[in-house]
Amino acid sequence: MDILIVEDARDQRLMLAVVLKKQGHQVFQAADGHEALDVLAQHPSIRIVISDWMMPNMDGIALCESIRQSNIGRYVYFILLTGKSDRQAMVDGINSGADDFVNKPVDFAELNARLNAGIRIIELKADLENKIQTIEKDLESAAETQARLLSEPARIQQVDFNWYFKPSRILGGDMFGYHALDEQTLGFYQLDVAGHGIPSALFSFTLNNLLREGSSASLLKAALSGPPFYRIKEPDEVLVSLNDQFQARPEAMLYFTIAYGIINSRTGSVTLSQAGHPPPLWLDGRSRTIRKIGGGGVPLGMMPDMTYSNVTFDLQPGDRLFLYSDGVTECENSEGEMFGEARLESLLAETFDHGVADMIKKVEQSIIGWTGADVFIDDVTYLVLEWQP
Amino acid sequence: MAFEAKSEAGYTIVSMDETRLDASISEPFRLYLFDQIDSGCDQVIIDLASVRFMDSSGLGVLVSALKKMAGQGALKLAAPQPAVEDLFNLTSMDKLFTITPTVAKAIEG
Repeated sequence: MDILIVEDARDQRLMLAVVLKKQGHQVFQAADGHEALDVLAQHPSIRIVISDWMMPNMDGIALCESIRQSNIGRYVYFILLTGKSDRQAMVDGINSGADDFVNKPVDFAELNARLNAGIRIIELKADLENKIQTIEKDLESAAETQARLLSEPARIQQVDFNWYFKPSRILGGDMFGYHALDEQTLGFYQLDVAGHGIPSALFSFTLNNLLREGSSASLLKAALSGPPFYRIKEPDEVLVSLNDQFQARPEAMLYFTIAYGIINSRTGSVTLSQAGHPPPLWLDGRSRTIRKIGGGGVPLGMMPDMTYSNVTFDLQPGDRLFLYSDGVTECENSEGEMFGEARLESLLAETFDHGVADMIKKVEQSIIGWTGADVFIDDVTYLVLEWQP
Repeated sequence: MAFEAKSEAGYTIVSMDETRLDASISEPFRLYLFDQIDSGCDQVIIDLASVRFMDSSGLGVLVSALKKMAGQGALKLAAPQPAVEDLFNLTSMDKLFTITPTVAKAIEG
């Protein structure tokens, strides 16, 4: 272990150094607090400081405070040598950040025992740091997996899909997707699992798999005995089956909000159902108005036997739908004020002459401008589709 | 965080000294509510008058208490403030809970 001895009395310092070197430690020396800070800065390997209390220029207490306030990127175990035996001195020492005390004159057996205690703590900390590093690596690779699950921006059967997705803490609980259900019907969804982090992300992976094309025949389509041998389920039916399948336990309330819709790519007719999700916005290009579609619905997984309702409406060529998670409207500025629905709607009202990619950029810039940073408290997701026959 | 429970007219009225019911306090709040339910409280009113903001974890706690009670007794939500009321509307919480504008109204019936 690399140890720094700080002591103004040269003979005492040298004696300590000799004893510690004999025990196999690498020993550094300083005559006061200022010198000690220089040595610490030059030798990042030093993890233990044994410092006298009373010294000229900078005493042991000031040195300890200075180390604790500095940003040296490692924990330094601080042992204070003291001739003082009064309790107040010890309290002051602990308050300034000292880890342990040894009375002068130094009993070397005691010093050795206290050093070993310090080494145990430093090793525990190193162990912990290694484990955290491993977990962070795992999280990053999970985040990459999540990014691969996201659908690419695409044009499918005359419908353009594009999106913005920014998880709050490496891994998010937001998910979205879109795909063809048959040659004229597309399904699309945006969902938000309550909470953040690993449990929410894992749950959103599961949901995403279920809602994707191919693996979802029973969830999104019902079998028929005659041609065409299937029926595309209405969105409210899909939500009812998801709700029945994913009831949360009271101890771990993993529930989610969702907007799920289907669009007929030939006619522009859309049917949408939602469960506690912010109402999707219909950007009606002809009248240049923004309409909220539907609303309400108990989030999925909360209570069994819930029912949901469908909303059906017809898009005109060039109309858009904007689906988003509450992370968009709940972004706060430095004063704690939320971005809010009204601000989002008036922003979108200015984008009728912009292409979809431009519009996505504008919304992103606007919320980053609002929060003053591109790190968000909640997952921020929005999905845009444009019917362009 | 400070949660408080008092008895009035046969109800346990739970209130909190918090303006945000979010992820930072949802777990202690859940444990507190579950404690009340485990100790036999089955007529519970949660007084939300102090709460200015609730997120998905806060909402989750309210529903988890309802699930925990499993249909035995009653759990009412009282005095939601505007932002919380918006959240209740968005998530149709009136389908799960009796929601009243004041604690007094919750006690009346």
